[in-house]
Amino acid sequence: MRISSMRYLVHQGFKGIWKNRMMSFASFCIMLVSLLMVGISVLLAININRIIGGIEDKSELVVQIKDGCSQEQIDELKNNLSSLPNVNTIEFYSKEQAWESMVKDMTKEEQELFQYADDNFLPDTFRVTVHDIKEMTLTTTQISTFSNVESTRSPSEFTDVLISIRRILGIISGAIVIALIVVCLIIISNTTRASVFARRKEINIMKYVGAKNSFIRIPFFIEGMIVGLLAAAAALGLTKFAYDGVYNIFNNDFKLWSVLGINNLYSFDDLFIHVTIAYAVAGALIGALGTSFSTGKHLKV
Amino acid sequence: MVEFKDVSVTYSSGVDALNKVNLKINDGDFAFVVGPSGAGKSTLIKLVLKEIDATNGEVIVNGFNLRKLRRGKIPALRRTIGVVFQDFRLIPTMTVYENVAFVLRVIDAPAKYIRSRVPYVINLVGLSDKTKSYPTELSGGEQQRVALARALVNDPKLIIADEPTGNIDPALSYEIVGLLKGINECGTTVLMVTHEHELVRYFGGRIININKGSIAFDEVIGGTHENK
Repeated sequence: MRISSMRYLVHQGFKGIWKNRMMSFASFCIMLVSLLMVGISVLLAININRIIGGIEDKSELVVQIKDGCSQEQIDELKNNLSSLPNVNTIEFYSKEQAWESMVKDMTKEEQELFQYADDNFLPDTFRVTVHDIKEMTLTTTQISTFSNVESTRSPSEFTDVLISIRRILGIISGAIVIALIVVCLIIISNTTRASVFARRKEINIMKYVGAKNSFIRIPFFIEGMIVGLLAAAAALGLTKFAYDGVYNIFNNDFKLWSVLGINNLYSFDDLFIHVTIAYAVAGALIGALGTSFSTGKHLKV
Repeated sequence: MVEFKDVSVTYSSGVDALNKVNLKINDGDFAFVVGPSGAGKSTLIKLVLKEIDATNGEVIVNGFNLRKLRRGKIPALRRTIGVVFQDFRLIPTMTVYENVAFVLRVIDAPAKYIRSRVPYVINLVGLSDKTKSYPTELSGGEQQRVALARALVNDPKLIIADEPTGNIDPALSYEIVGLLKGINECGTTVLMVTHEHELVRYFGGRIININKGSIAFDEVIGGTHENK
């Protein structure tokens, strides 16, 4: 195809938007709402996942070291712990630190009573966090087989609940996102079909003068892509505005929620590139393919 | 050249539109196709444009055997044919110039050729002062002349005019057929479907009368204008 012909087709695509501005506007609005619904749902799902992940990260298992172990034995145990693939961080918590912490948490009366205690009965411990919380039980069992380990404690019930919540939320958010995508595709396809139907005579004439299907489709493809990209840009702006608003509320006004990992919310800047690419690709593809597929029916002349 | 060999068309409704039609229109011919409504005239046109396929027989148009022609090659066939419709079928959002130039853009003609050919053809049909007008700003006769320019711009071997005078004033009808006759004199084959017997009698030439799916009459008659 000649460059002049390609330029003409691209130009026709742009002109088509203005000439059919009402239908273009309808497609724009439908795509904007669709992208917003899907985009916000995905962002919500990502953040819920991260919040639960944040809570999971705070779950640690405690390894009590046998009383009377030498420094070499403690170091050896630490090496053994680090050799486990699921172990993330290892923090040594001496019996002195544990005693201090315990006394600090006591009432005055209790503290007075405890000052007469002549022996620190608390053990040295390792506090271990894991990479995969689902493997925590297995890791705990492995650790308990190491020498110089008195006992292990892990919040297995709590982590089981978290895993279940995460799985259920994953299924629910996945189902919602898929349902939204399907609904949006149906709505967009109907809107673009109506837009193309309004111009079926034009397509019919093109066929009679010997236009190839690709020649007819290209301007519709470009038109759909531009409308899709405009909808994506508007959706990006609106998403940023809404997201920043919600993010600031959680970050500034609910700092206490950080205990639950709420401070783990992604900032929009973290997600900007991903959201931009997702919106642009989805908008352009849905717009372009939706419109050019809708022309197919009218090309059979 | 258009050739029908034992062509029959039966629609899915069971209606026999054409029944073993044999017809040959040579290059450079001008033929009127006449007949009552439902006789099979439109079916004949649809066959030539490969809008439908013959149930039986062979249709050959400008060297294309339509029975063997694949869907992807239909544009190549149609580029050898110029079509003029009763309802003009101009693109309302394009100017006169754009409507005519569009056909050349479809065949990927060089921009320079488009710039020289389109004004020439628009001038041929007498609409040089209307190049920037939109179809809705033109009279019926003018719109049909644009359609004629569009059919002509590609320099087709065959022009099919399907009731081209059906939507315009009788006086302008003679003008349109006169233009078609002029195009024919330059060597283009013209196949014109019409209901207007007065027009046919006036211009004369080859008359193909279709009735109940068969050719009832195929003769050359003299036109009354030749006697004047």
